Amino acid sequence: MLIRLSGGRVIDPANGRDGIGDIWIRDDRIVEPVAGESPDMVYDITGKIVMAGAIDIHSHIAGGNVNTARLLLPENHRAHTARPAATPLSTAGWSTFETGCRYAAMGYTTVIEPAVPPHLALHSHLELADIPIIDKGTLSVLGNDDFLLGLIRDNAGPAAIADYVGATVGATKGIGIKCINAGAAMAFKHNVRSFALDDIVPEYNLSSRTIVEALQQAVLDLGIPHPLHLHTNNLGIGGNVETAIATIAAARGKPLHLAHLQFYSYGKEGKRGFSSAAAELAEAVNANPNVTVDVGQVMFRQTVTISMDVLRQFNAMGTASPKKSVIYDGDANGGGIVPFNYRSNNFYNAVQWASGLELFLLITDPMRVFFSTDHPNGAPYTTYPDLFALIMSREARASWLADLPAAAVEMTTLPSLTREYSFYDIATMTRVAPAKLLGLRDRGHLGPGALADVAIYHDDPDRAAMFRFAHLVFKDGDLVIRDGRVTHYRFGRALKVSPTYDSAIDRRLSRYYDELYGISHEMFKVPASALGRENPFGEVACGR
Amino acid sequence: MKVLVDGAAAPLEAAAAAAARLLEQAHMPLIAGLGTDVEGTRAAIALAERLRGAYDHMHSEFLLRDIDVMRQAGQFVTTPNEARVRADCVVLIGANLTAAWPDMLARLDLANPARFDDEHKPRKIFWLGPSRGEAAAAGAKEIAAASSELPGLLSALRAGVAGHKRRPDAAIDRMLADVAAELKAARFGVVIWSGESVGRLTIEMIYGLLLDLNKTTRFSGLPVSPGANVMGVAQTSGWMTGFPMRTGFGRGYPEHDTWRFEANRMVEAGEADAALWISAYGNEAPRWKRQVPFIAITTPDTRFAYPPKVRIDVGTPGIDHNAVVYAQNLGTLAAIDAENASDALQVAAVVRLIDQSLNENLTKGEGAC
Repeated sequence: MLIRLSGGRVIDPANGRDGIGDIWIRDDRIVEPVAGESPDMVYDITGKIVMAGAIDIHSHIAGGNVNTARLLLPENHRAHTARPAATPLSTAGWSTFETGCRYAAMGYTTVIEPAVPPHLALHSHLELADIPIIDKGTLSVLGNDDFLLGLIRDNAGPAAIADYVGATVGATKGIGIKCINAGAAMAFKHNVRSFALDDIVPEYNLSSRTIVEALQQAVLDLGIPHPLHLHTNNLGIGGNVETAIATIAAARGKPLHLAHLQFYSYGKEGKRGFSSAAAELAEAVNANPNVTVDVGQVMFRQTVTISMDVLRQFNAMGTASPKKSVIYDGDANGGGIVPFNYRSNNFYNAVQWASGLELFLLITDPMRVFFSTDHPNGAPYTTYPDLFALIMSREARASWLADLPAAAVEMTTLPSLTREYSFYDIATMTRVAPAKLLGLRDRGHLGPGALADVAIYHDDPDRAAMFRFAHLVFKDGDLVIRDGRVTHYRFGRALKVSPTYDSAIDRRLSRYYDELYGISHEMFKVPASALGRENPFGEVACGR
Repeated sequence: MKVLVDGAAAPLEAAAAAAARLLEQAHMPLIAGLGTDVEGTRAAIALAERLRGAYDHMHSEFLLRDIDVMRQAGQFVTTPNEARVRADCVVLIGANLTAAWPDMLARLDLANPARFDDEHKPRKIFWLGPSRGEAAAAGAKEIAAASSELPGLLSALRAGVAGHKRRPDAAIDRMLADVAAELKAARFGVVIWSGESVGRLTIEMIYGLLLDLNKTTRFSGLPVSPGANVMGVAQTSGWMTGFPMRTGFGRGYPEHDTWRFEANRMVEAGEADAALWISAYGNEAPRWKRQVPFIAITTPDTRFAYPPKVRIDVGTPGIDHNAVVYAQNLGTLAAIDAENASDALQVAAVVRLIDQSLNENLTKGEGAC
């Protein structure tokens, strides 16, 4: 099948392209312009905006905690029901099927679920297998497990730690490693109620900083393309900008990805002891090119916070709206599910909203700041189009700012920021940069050889409308969205890495499980045959 | 392994076709029983949607006790691993837990101190309302109680933990005062129950007790799942439709209602006019009295109160074939290999065959879009 997309405005920063032109697709790949051969299909996309399929590096779309949130909040589903297409289960609000449909409708073709506890990896992959259209990936969570903490405590050395990390990411079919409030979940099991970067995990005599450093090094040693993906300490607390800046310093020039940075951008100014310190934090990010971040933007609406930072979620139970929460003391990390309603007339929520936008606008390099609402923590991913509109227009921001509490606005620099993201910046931030960050060479761009993941939008001055429903979306060269509606299902792959490591660690883990837990380590395996889809995995190369 | 249509042996394809005719002609088809693995559940829910029918599980009543409390108040839970390695204090609640979870005592290794307990002392174990002999087998201090007494007993215990006044003359209160003191002194305690043997009030009180205990120490819960993979079905249902079972597609999108879509009620009230009964874990038959025409996808020994229109025997997940199911021993879904692999049919394959045998022009599901 040869397809020609004719006459659109092609925005492809990876190849330095922004201009009117054609894109040619043969089967599942983008190819050089073809002369002397008639395409099987021609789409006249004159006046439309053409970008590669978008990639979301941080969105909680599958797994035990996500599913528990669904079961916890049946009353929310009515609001989610969008009925976008006549395909199986597409009318199920807040389901795996809806997730694929809604992401694809926005032009997204790859989404990473960033918090998969190794013991729950099979459940997560089963959910991902039922998300149609898009490719997926998972980050395996370490940093609160006895085996790792034992290795560090016993000075097992970086090679042994890398072996364990490699074995875990390989067995759980992950694309990288995440660390969530390193040591805090373990400390919470010892009845510790707050945990900072240099606090010590009882019984292990290890600081959070030490655990992070060990994992960061292991990821580097294994050649996993995606740097350690870190949810650091003191999330959501006034004055925690100091923690974030100290964490950036602790990276010591090595690659580090800081998740949902907005939740760490708070100062202690003002009579409420809560202010935006986003400007200071953005400066630290700008000064440290080894650091990448995603924002975790807050938008005003009802949502539910889902986090494996069990300590933070336990402490947040009092803010639950509606008043019900699930706390899960899991193997190693666990988590918490706390419903939350961000309100524009709430001082704290308004500061949060503004500080996220400040980060977008003050971090100068769109290759290092990533688009996320930390779905559903800051807001559901379905609010992305509204967020695109905000960072692309100072006018749009001004009209929102006018409705916020003046006291909150005074605590931010947002009114003074005039920057507006261009299409080129958007394509960089949502296509080129995440592909690079995840080591995905086959996507994020529209050059010959790339996977034919293509999103074509109407150039609607209402940017939110434009990004909510793409005109056409191709996944692997297959037209899956036409004017915002799914035409048919196809099932993507979960992208994974398979780093090499000394397999002696597998035998050691096997003994450890037998002896400590009285069960086989194999019980947590993720066999492809269990997922009920053909070729459920795609490989991402590791390299040192 | 039998394949029968109207009591007579038939080829599988013919049986699937007969099943499809029955279901597609029904105004409100019902998928019930649903004793199957994750793959069977995926197929059954997809079929229910295509038919604009409803689905329920034979043990929904038990699991929904936990889910109902969760969605009204919340939940505080941990895993079997954590209970085993960390629990210095264990509170078992209700009867027949060792029947619901036969591996429980060995899996949790209650006879030995928890390895990760900071003080590594013998565990304190209490059992409120056990069956006969259960507490002794667990090495637990028994507090005898009938199921109906448990909510009151737990509320007294919770009051004791919170330091509220109680009647000092009652022997039971004195005993509970001692238990409350032990609970408060625990470093990481675990409460274990099953919705199969305790009701909503008890579970709600357990949740409140856990919240109170966590003000000063660490305590978590470990619900034991009822059988026939009901937890696996609930999880699969959750990610496919957003809701647990007792969900219907009559209006073209999933609606969840624990009363409206209760299988037995739908049949007895005449709302469901055809049913697909699935039971791959044991010889469970439908319990409804009204004779609604039904298709049975069940294990070979199943006996029915009245004959099914179509009967297709299947194997058991994890015994006859590999399967993904909720593993109580892990507290999550696990891929298990067949213990004794056979060529018995699988629920998912049979349900998909019925799905494929439906009239291609069946458009019940598309009207809503």
